[in-house]
Amino acid sequence: MSLVIKDLTKQYNKHKTGLSDYSITIEKGVLGLLGPNGAGKSTLMKIIATISKPTTGTLFLDGEDIVANPDRIRKILGYLPQDFGVYPNLNAYEFLEYIAAMKGVGGNNLRKRIDLLLEGVNLTADAKRPIGTYSGGMKQRIGIAQALLNDPKVLIFDEPTVGLDPEERVRFRQLISDLADDCIIILSSHIVSDIETIADEVAIMKNGKLITKAAQPDIIKLVEGKVFETLVDNNDVAAIKAKYQVIDTGRQKDKTRVRFISHTGATELAAATVSATLEDAYLFLTHDNK
Amino acid sequence: MRYINSIIKADYLQRIRSYAFLITLAITFYAAYSFVPPPTASYTTLNVVGYKGVYNSAWVGYVSGMMTAIMLSMYGFFLVNGGIKKDIDTEVGLIIATTPISNFGYLLSKMLSNFLVLLTIAGCTFVVSIIMFFVRTTGSPFIIGNFLTPYLLFVVPAIFVISSLAVIAEVFLGRRSILQYIAFFFFFGALMANINQQKNETVAVFIDPFGVRTMTSSIKNHINTKYHEHIEGINLGFTFNSKRGFKTFEWNGINITGEFLLSRLLWVIIALGLVYLSSFFFHRFDFKQPVSKKKKPGLNEQHTDTTALAPAGINRTLMPPLVTDYGIIPFIKTELLLLTRKGSKWLWLISIGAAISMLFAPLNISHLYILPVLWFLQVTRWSELTTREETNRLHYFTYASYKPLQRMLPAQLLAGVVIAIVLALPLIVRYVIAADGYAIFNIINGAIFIVLLAGCLGIVSGGKKIFEIFFFLLTYALTQNIPVVDYLGAVKHDSNAVYIAVMLAFNLLLIAVSFGVRSYKLRNV
Repeated sequence: MSLVIKDLTKQYNKHKTGLSDYSITIEKGVLGLLGPNGAGKSTLMKIIATISKPTTGTLFLDGEDIVANPDRIRKILGYLPQDFGVYPNLNAYEFLEYIAAMKGVGGNNLRKRIDLLLEGVNLTADAKRPIGTYSGGMKQRIGIAQALLNDPKVLIFDEPTVGLDPEERVRFRQLISDLADDCIIILSSHIVSDIETIADEVAIMKNGKLITKAAQPDIIKLVEGKVFETLVDNNDVAAIKAKYQVIDTGRQKDKTRVRFISHTGATELAAATVSATLEDAYLFLTHDNK
Repeated sequence: MRYINSIIKADYLQRIRSYAFLITLAITFYAAYSFVPPPTASYTTLNVVGYKGVYNSAWVGYVSGMMTAIMLSMYGFFLVNGGIKKDIDTEVGLIIATTPISNFGYLLSKMLSNFLVLLTIAGCTFVVSIIMFFVRTTGSPFIIGNFLTPYLLFVVPAIFVISSLAVIAEVFLGRRSILQYIAFFFFFGALMANINQQKNETVAVFIDPFGVRTMTSSIKNHINTKYHEHIEGINLGFTFNSKRGFKTFEWNGINITGEFLLSRLLWVIIALGLVYLSSFFFHRFDFKQPVSKKKKPGLNEQHTDTTALAPAGINRTLMPPLVTDYGIIPFIKTELLLLTRKGSKWLWLISIGAAISMLFAPLNISHLYILPVLWFLQVTRWSELTTREETNRLHYFTYASYKPLQRMLPAQLLAGVVIAIVLALPLIVRYVIAADGYAIFNIINGAIFIVLLAGCLGIVSGGKKIFEIFFFLLTYALTQNIPVVDYLGAVKHDSNAVYIAVMLAFNLLLIAVSFGVRSYKLRNV
């Protein structure tokens, strides 16, 4: 199964472009989308989810044009939007039955399917309570359950770990790993560590354009040897920030540990190179001066 | 005061930048145009039996001002109502509650922003009225005072009172919009009836925030004195089929007395005073959790907040085989569930009571008064019919579902029609017994029309206000026995066939617009 996106552009108005000549091929496995706010991640996901029409460009799922025939992907789609809502007066069963109807899932086994999903997201005990009384994390879990109702082959998760506590995030990553064998999973997150642990490949976006798409080690290679760390006086931090792209700082008594990127090294600072991470690469690639 | 100014400005901008406000403005322009009909038109907006006023500055300015005062008061309440609710829903209220602003300061700012919204609309009708003067008259001198006076003395106090009522209704009747709508419906009806029927002129002037009585009395006295007539009633509002023979008269506006000015001032003070009093009862966004007195089985377990995904996760191998079902019955079931759960139980009790009363009340009373009001009681159910998913941010799911246009939208509309017909069943049963197929057809067609109107206006405007305003105007006008707004066949028409054809055409148009606009929106989230 493959999703081929070619020259996709989404122009909202004269001054606002969501995506610009965006091309990417997505295969089975987990693709992590990284990019600053306004990079076009949600726009891309909405277009793949068929709720937004591209201004120009094509989108093929296994050779079939899903811009012209959106119902083709809708049958096998699981979508968890970033800021989805619920009908507060329905309980979990009623809500999932409703979503099942939308997805065209029915039959006598539907209740069993819902039971298993609710069990999987640990909501069985609360299944008969109105969803309006759920906490943010519980709503997010009902969102995950609805995305899996129809045994989807294409799964889109837009910021799925928002509202989940650390334990839930770990379990969610496990769930994604389990699903990745026979699905295309597209996942966006601001939390680089989430992507780092789950994604087979990473696509980094900025200003509606694809900067790079590759396996994590290949992306990290782009910044390998350019990441340095040093311990300096607190007063010197501003000068370093002015000269280098500072990735991170951490205060240690009267000193500050500074992690920064330099193309040529920084002998004047007695800085040592350190192993690069995906976060270093992401910040390097999306830096304004890049 | 700086806080108040900022809140008024933000609130005002937030409201006028909505799509619903733009639609309201467009309708306002058309309404303002229709307030001054050409002499050949089949309707008048100020009807004196046997007479028609000559189109001069006074006539155009005052009729336009008076119509604006009444119409804007009628639908303005629905337009501006909900300002506090918006702050609750968006949780901006929680921020406001932590600021030094007083309750009165906050409510006053809400009232004044309501007032500014309505004043903006009144400003538009004012401009249109002047344009209409030049369109409709030839040779008559333009006197700006004849336009300014009615707008300042009729419209401004009227919308000031309405702005205040909208705030007070929210303070005392909470977030339940339907309660506020019903209260306003009866308040407005009772007020208009009192103004028209009050025998004592002085009392009539003081109980009339719109100034309607002062104007109609002035015209009546003018005709009675000049033409030695004994005219009793003058109808304000759209009156149709008035092409009979008539004399013309020239009227030059009202005499502004101290009594009249005092009444205007009094209404402004009353409006401010009521807002001040209501500030003592304002919740300031501090909501206590209601404690359920009836303990349900397993309630303690239900309140346990589970904190994580199950350790085992979701085992897809245990899932039963996927069975596809692309029918719309499950949707209709859920839509009915959502519709019936909307609102409180007492509203259902009142609705059922009103429905049953149609079995016993005189047939024409049931059809012309009880059924329209009974259906209006469902306004908040139907106004959400096609906006609910966007309001609850569920449209991401519905729009990405399989064939949403062919399955979701028909299910929403059908569920709405089912509710309307079920409520009308007692009346339908009586018509079945009376073997009146025409009446049954009209009721069912009316049910379809009102639900389609709710669906269409919701889809086009993206909000529920426009439908709520329309539905209120329709219901109010229908209970005043006006044939042109009769959507359920309650009033006699010249030709049954033409009436049915017009209603069917309306329904088809509403279907076409609903499906056309929704089809566009599905791919443009």
